[in-house]
Amino acid sequence: MTMTANFVSSQFLTNSMILPITQAQSTLTTAMTEESTGQYADLGLQLGDQSGYELSLKEQVSLIQTLTSGNSLVSTNLATAQNALSAIGASAQTAMSALTVWTPSANSGATLQTTGQSALQALIASTNATSGDEYVFGGINSAVAPVTDYYSTPTSAAKTAVDQAFQTAFGVLPSDLAAASISASAMQSFLAGPFAALFSGAAWTSDWSSASSTNTSAEIAPGQTVASSTNANEPVFQDLAQAYTMLSEFGGSQLSGAAQQAVASAASSLITQGQDSLTNVQAALGATQSAVTDANNSMSSQSTILQKQIDALDNIDPNATAAQINSLTNQIQMAYELTARLQQMNLAQYLPVP
Amino acid sequence: MSLSAAFNIISSSFAANSAQTAVVSNNIANVNTPGYSRQIANLVTNSFGGADVVSVTREANAALADQVSTSTAQAAAQQAIADGLATLAQTVSDSSSASTTSGADQNGASPSAMLTNLQSALTTHETSPSSSSAADAAVTAAQNLASSLNRGSAAVANVREQADQNMASSVATINSLLSQFTAANNAVVTGLQAGTSVASAEDQRDSIVTQLSHEIGVSTVTAGNGSMSIYTDSGVTLFQDTARAVSFTPTPTLVDGQSGSPVTVDGVPITGPNSPMPLQSGALAGYAALRDSLAPQYQAQLDQIAGGLINAFAESDQSTPPTLPPLPGLFTTPGATSLPSTAATTGLGAAIEVNPNADPSQGGDATLLRDGGISNPGNPAYTYNSTGAASYTSRLQQLVGAIGATQSFDPSAGLGSSASLTDYTNASVSWLQAENQQASNASSYQSALATQATSALSNATGVNLDAEMTNMLNLENSYASSAKLLTTVNSMFSALLNAA
Repeated sequence: MTMTANFVSSQFLTNSMILPITQAQSTLTTAMTEESTGQYADLGLQLGDQSGYELSLKEQVSLIQTLTSGNSLVSTNLATAQNALSAIGASAQTAMSALTVWTPSANSGATLQTTGQSALQALIASTNATSGDEYVFGGINSAVAPVTDYYSTPTSAAKTAVDQAFQTAFGVLPSDLAAASISASAMQSFLAGPFAALFSGAAWTSDWSSASSTNTSAEIAPGQTVASSTNANEPVFQDLAQAYTMLSEFGGSQLSGAAQQAVASAASSLITQGQDSLTNVQAALGATQSAVTDANNSMSSQSTILQKQIDALDNIDPNATAAQINSLTNQIQMAYELTARLQQMNLAQYLPVP
Repeated sequence: MSLSAAFNIISSSFAANSAQTAVVSNNIANVNTPGYSRQIANLVTNSFGGADVVSVTREANAALADQVSTSTAQAAAQQAIADGLATLAQTVSDSSSASTTSGADQNGASPSAMLTNLQSALTTHETSPSSSSAADAAVTAAQNLASSLNRGSAAVANVREQADQNMASSVATINSLLSQFTAANNAVVTGLQAGTSVASAEDQRDSIVTQLSHEIGVSTVTAGNGSMSIYTDSGVTLFQDTARAVSFTPTPTLVDGQSGSPVTVDGVPITGPNSPMPLQSGALAGYAALRDSLAPQYQAQLDQIAGGLINAFAESDQSTPPTLPPLPGLFTTPGATSLPSTAATTGLGAAIEVNPNADPSQGGDATLLRDGGISNPGNPAYTYNSTGAASYTSRLQQLVGAIGATQSFDPSAGLGSSASLTDYTNASVSWLQAENQQASNASSYQSALATQATSALSNATGVNLDAEMTNMLNLENSYASSAKLLTTVNSMFSALLNAA
């Protein structure tokens, strides 16, 4: 008996097909899973130390999705604020038109009073506009209505303050007959002085506004935070409230025609001033709106690119996998065939039975 | 030469023939016995001119046998590591099908995905700061993150305890194999002294070495008297004339930071950091590597993540000037009264929890997430939103920023000393999957090598049925010839006797 390189043990010959068959079968199972899901069967094993990179790509996509859905809320809030500002602008325009044609000789003071009162009520309603359950002009203090109703019962703090200021300045109330003796110049200096002081600073925040001067901010794109609202402490609200209140309080009073004229002209100059600041506020919010749109657009294209990168890591080549499945199936069939033939290749089969 | 001498030769021919037939039968009977080495009957001409079977030797190949045991040991070590790491990798393998989800939420339960979900929930809460459902969602996301770290730590403890148990059973197997080896080795030595056939005892001895190499990497040396000595692959004697005692004390519960006991041979540790000659291969080495270095390193990373989270969400004294120390905020550990340092995070991964003060299900208040004061709701110094404004977002912005901000980590966990929480958590996943991939590849490679070496050994020393059949035909022919010869000599005797 010789041992040469050609020597093959029968055990090896019998078993030689088992390992290739089991290997091919397990590869086939994996390939079929991959073909049906389109992804590698075991991503962690496939990616190894690239797993963290893949996760960070997915995190970015996830962050973009979160920000985009948050942005739709920001956009809704901004649109609500813009609508309210437009309404404020429209009522300011109406009041302005009424004032332009008003003269003390042709019209009564009651016209002034009606104009002022309806404009002030509209202003208060618009300033207390809500989006969801948030007051859009509340600043960060969005859970509380920014301005209180001036005409409420019991008498609002704002009205009490106005009455007190008038009483302090002239010793009478506007409804008192004695008020008729107040001169136009005295009225002018009252309006510019003690009365104007009620609509700014601490008096405004204590009597009129509950809003916070800090605007809400929102992250609209990764690392990009913008002020996402304006608040009722802006000059536009103070100027308009001041103009409407003087019309409402002093228009229908016992004031002389000259004093009423002084009230009307002070009011119209305040409304003009208010309209200017209104435009500024609208422009600022408009800029934020377009920043949100831009952010959404750029995040959308960014998301597409990121998703492509993720797919490149996760996804198999379906054509290659289909070809692999085909060749594995062939290999297994071939191995079965060979196993059967090897069983026949045995000297005992060919020896004559003695 | 006399006729009676011819008779003697014929009778020795029959004896030799039956001895050879016995060897061929033995070979054929063992054609499918793994590790069987084919036997060869050695013939010598005897003093009458006939043939005697003087010995039966076995076809052996020490070099190939060594290769089989080396590659078996390597494959077993890598397989043990790969199995353990695959268990750990399950706790982070949530990447599959995640990209097909429509929402922002990541699938699965890895700390990495849970951190992303928390970041998303906080960002959403930042957009709707007054929404209590957004606050609750953020607290739930935080709880998921904490329990994902708890689960990861439990998996590490589980893998280490399993490895410890496997080491115990491996050591029991080694001791049992060594005592079987003692018997087989004695049979070889005494058989050689007595001059009897030792082939099957040698087969048994080789088969024990192969089984042993599955548990522990070994090398063998055969002495002049036929006695075989076994050493570990690091050079520690396992068997020399007598078996050495391999001992191990199992540790049923292995908590974070606790090390298991080493395996010792004659009191010398062969695993663990204090071993002068640490074991290189075999399942035992794989289990030890898993229990003593790989799993603890992953645990250290989880602990670092937990410590980083507690620090990132810590609350500081908001009074001017601040006088009180920062305290754990949203994330804390039971009974914690201060922030953990990066060097002392052991056990945090298993213990981290969402502060009950912020958890509505435990009577806490989720809006504290927006307002601050989770650490101590009774102390206004830690409240950030002092006016109670409903749309206060500064604190939430800080928290989202803290997740992405660079902070310091203990470099001994193997992932560098400075990274953002997000990057660190991802790096930990990368580390684990890379180790998993490497062990899995090494395991397949070493298994293939072991299979090849086994095939080569089988081809070198195994039985070929056709060759044995051919031998059998030869023996049949020689038997027939001897019988013919016997008849002829017999008739010659008869003729001689009749003539007389």
